[in-house]
Amino acid sequence: MIPSIQLPSQKYKRKVTAFSLVIIVVSTACIYMDFNPLGFFTEFHFVRDLLGEMMPPNFNVLWSSSSVGFSFLQTMSMAFLGTLYGGVIAITIAFLAANNTMPARVVRMIARAALSLLRVIPALVVILIFVIAVGLGSFAGVLTLVVITVGTFGKLFTEIIENTENPPSEAIYSAGASRVQVIRYSVIPQILPSFVANLLYAFDVNVRAAIGLGIFGGGGIGFQLYLSLRVLHYQDAMAYICFIILLVISVEKLSDYLRRKILNDGKF
Amino acid sequence: MLEVKQLIKSLPNGRKVLNGISFKVEKGEFVGILGPSGAGKTLTLRCLNGLLKPDSGSVVVQGTDGKRVDICQISKRELRRARQKIGVIFQGNHLVKRLSALENVMIGRLGQISTFRSILYGFTDAEAAEAVAALEKVKMEHMADVRTGNMSGGEMQRVAIARAIFQSPTLLLADEPISSLDPSNARVIMKLIKPLSENIPVVGVFHQPDMTAKYCTRVIAIKDGKVIYDGDPHLSENLLAEIYGEELQQIEANKNIPALIPSEPTLVHTS
Amino acid sequence: MTWKDFSLKRYRKYILPLIILVLVTYGAAMVCGISYGELGRGLVSGVVFLGHMFPPDWSAFNEMLEPAFQSIIIAFLGTFFGALLSLIMALLAAANISNPWVRNITRFLIGVERSLPEIVILLLLVAAFGLGSMPGIIALAISCIGMLGKLLADSIEEIDHIMIESMQSVGAKKIQVIFFGVLPQILPNLISYTLFRFELNIRLSVILGAVGAGGVGYELDYAFNMLEYHRAFTAMLIILVMVFSTEQLSYFLRKWIKVDAALK
Repeated sequence: MIPSIQLPSQKYKRKVTAFSLVIIVVSTACIYMDFNPLGFFTEFHFVRDLLGEMMPPNFNVLWSSSSVGFSFLQTMSMAFLGTLYGGVIAITIAFLAANNTMPARVVRMIARAALSLLRVIPALVVILIFVIAVGLGSFAGVLTLVVITVGTFGKLFTEIIENTENPPSEAIYSAGASRVQVIRYSVIPQILPSFVANLLYAFDVNVRAAIGLGIFGGGGIGFQLYLSLRVLHYQDAMAYICFIILLVISVEKLSDYLRRKILNDGKF
Repeated sequence: MLEVKQLIKSLPNGRKVLNGISFKVEKGEFVGILGPSGAGKTLTLRCLNGLLKPDSGSVVVQGTDGKRVDICQISKRELRRARQKIGVIFQGNHLVKRLSALENVMIGRLGQISTFRSILYGFTDAEAAEAVAALEKVKMEHMADVRTGNMSGGEMQRVAIARAIFQSPTLLLADEPISSLDPSNARVIMKLIKPLSENIPVVGVFHQPDMTAKYCTRVIAIKDGKVIYDGDPHLSENLLAEIYGEELQQIEANKNIPALIPSEPTLVHTS
Repeated sequence: MTWKDFSLKRYRKYILPLIILVLVTYGAAMVCGISYGELGRGLVSGVVFLGHMFPPDWSAFNEMLEPAFQSIIIAFLGTFFGALLSLIMALLAAANISNPWVRNITRFLIGVERSLPEIVILLLLVAAFGLGSMPGIIALAISCIGMLGKLLADSIEEIDHIMIESMQSVGAKKIQVIFFGVLPQILPNLISYTLFRFELNIRLSVILGAVGAGGVGYELDYAFNMLEYHRAFTAMLIILVMVFSTEQLSYFLRKWIKVDAALK
C-alpha cells in the first residue's frame, strides 16, 4: 500500500459526508422557512395563469399614455445625474483616500472609513431615508443613486489611483515639481481611461438600479410597472417589462461598446 | 560642481548601506559609478537628488541663483527649487506613457512654472519650440506627438535625455540609463550623454565597465557602501575582479555577446 | 508667457463637449425636478434626518433577530438553488458540451434574465404566488442565473476541448464527462462565484423583504411606514452588521479557497 495516496474509498467517504452535510443543512433551512423547492413546479400553474393573463402585451400603453415617455426620461435622468454627481464625489474621495495623492494619514483614514461605510449600506435603506427627508419622487431616487455610486465605485477608484505607476511620478518630482503637478501630469493621464470606462459601467448599473428604485417611490418607469401590477393591469405590465428589457439591453450594449472603444483605442 | 561628503545611511536593522561615501565632481567630467548589485550605487544617486535622505553627510550643489546649497539640509520648497537645476535621466519606464514625447519633455520644467499655470496646461508656444529643439538634439523631433507608451526602449531613453536637456540643469544625474537596452542603442545613448558633460558635471550609475571605459572620464567604484576606487576609467582585470567578485563572470558573458551593428553607430532617425 | 498662450483656440476642443454636458445635466435635473444647489441640500437633509432617527430602539433588537436570521436563510436558499439552476443552465450554454441550438437558446434566456432587475422578477412572482418567503427565494434563485450562468458557462468553455475528447475516447458517456471532467475543473470558480453572489443576495433579500418576502427588510419598511424611526434605526444597524459580516466571511472563504485551489 502506498501511504501518501488517498484511497478511492476514503475520498468517496469524504465526498459522501460533505454531500449529505449540504443536503441536511439545506433541507433544515427549507423546513424552517416552510419552503418546498418543488413547489415552484407543482404550483407552476399559478405562473402559467399569470403569464396567460399577461399575454398579449398591451403595447399601446407605451405610446398612448404621455406619462410613459416622461417616466422613461425620468429613469434615464436619474441614472445620469446619479452617475455624474456620484462619480464626481467618488473621485474626490478617492483622491483623498489614496496614499500616493494624499500625504496626511488622518484624512486618508477618514476617507477610507467613509467609503467602507457607504459600501455596505443597501439601496433600500438609503431610499427609505431620502423618501422621508425630501419626499417621494425622482429627487429621492437621484440622491440614493449618488450615495450608492459613491459606495460602489469609491473604493475601486482609490485602488486605481494607488495602482498607477510610481516611476513617472518620481521622475517628475525629481525635476522639482510639486505634488499637485505630479497628480496633474502623471496620475491623471494614467487613470483617465479606466475612470471614464468605469463611469460608463456605473451608468449601466444605475439604469437598472433606477428602475428598481421606482418601486420604492423613486419615480420613473419602475414606478409605472409597479402601479400597473397593483391595479392588476397585467397586459400593460408585460408591455412595461418588454420595454425595460429592451432599455437595459440597449444601455448595456452602448456602454460596452463605448468602454471597449475607450480601453482599446489608444487615442483617448 | 558637486561635492559629496561622508554619506551614511543605515537600514532599520542597523546594516549600513551607505558607509561614508565621499567624492567631488567638476564640470567637464563624466563620472561613471560602478559596483556589484546591492552595493549602494543607486542609493547614492538618489541622495544626490534628495529622493532619499541620508542619516548624515552632505551633498553640495550649485543652486538656482548660483549659491551653493546642501541637498541633505533642505526640504519642501527649497528642495524643489534646487531640483529645478538637477536633471535626472531614469530608465525609460519613468516617462508618463500616456503623454506624448513633447509633453514628457515639457514636464522637465514643471518645477519652474506656477501650479495654476501647470494645471491649465499653460506651457507657452515658446517653451514648446524649445522642447522641440531639445528633441532635435536627440533626433526625436519627428516623433514629438507620439505617445511614449508606443515607443521602443531606446526611443524612450532619448526622450528622457531630451527632458534633461530641456531642464537646462547645472548637474546631470543618470540612473542606469542603458541597463535595459541592447548594445547598439546603449552606445547611442552614451554618445548623447557625453557631450552634455562639457559644461556641467555628469554622474551616472552603470553596470557595464566596457561602456564606462569608453565614454566616461572617470570611474568611481562602490562596494559595501564604500568608495573603493576613484580614478581612470580603464580598469585592470584585477581591479574588476576586486570590484565585482563573483558577478564578474556574468558581466564578461554579457560583454561577449556579439554586436550585430558596427561598434560606433551613427545616430539616425529610428522610424 | 502671454495671454495669447491662453487663447480660446487652445481650449476649443473642450468647449463643445462641455456645453453638451451642461445642457444634458440641466435637462436631466429639470426632468427630475431638481434645481441648482438642491442636490447638496438633499444630501444634507438626509443626514439630518438620520440624526433624528438616533438613538436606536434597543427594545426592538430582540424582536428583529429572527427576521434577520430569516433574511440570511432566504439569501442562503436562494443562492443554493440559484447556483444549482445556474450550473444546469451553464452546462446547456457551454459550446463544448451542448449542441449549438440548445446553446443559443440558453444563452438568450440568460441574457434576458440578466437585463431584468431582480425586483421585477419578485413583483411577478408575488403576483403569481402571493406574498411570502417562497416567491422571495425563487426570485433570488432565478436572479442568479443571469450572472452565475454566464460566468460558469464561460469558465466551462475555457476547459480544454482535448481533455473532453480524450475522456470521450475512452468511452465515457456525456454525464460521466460532466461529473469527472467538467465539475472538478470548475469547482473553485463555482464556489467563489457563488460566494460572491451570496453577498449580493444578502443585500437583495433585504430589498425583496420590503416588497413582501418578509425578513428584516420587511421590518425596516414596516417601521418606516409606522413612523417608528428609532425602531427603523435598529433594523438599519442590524442590516449593516449583516451585510458587513457576510462580506467579510465570503472574502475570507474566497481567499482560503483560492489558496487551496492553488495548492492542489
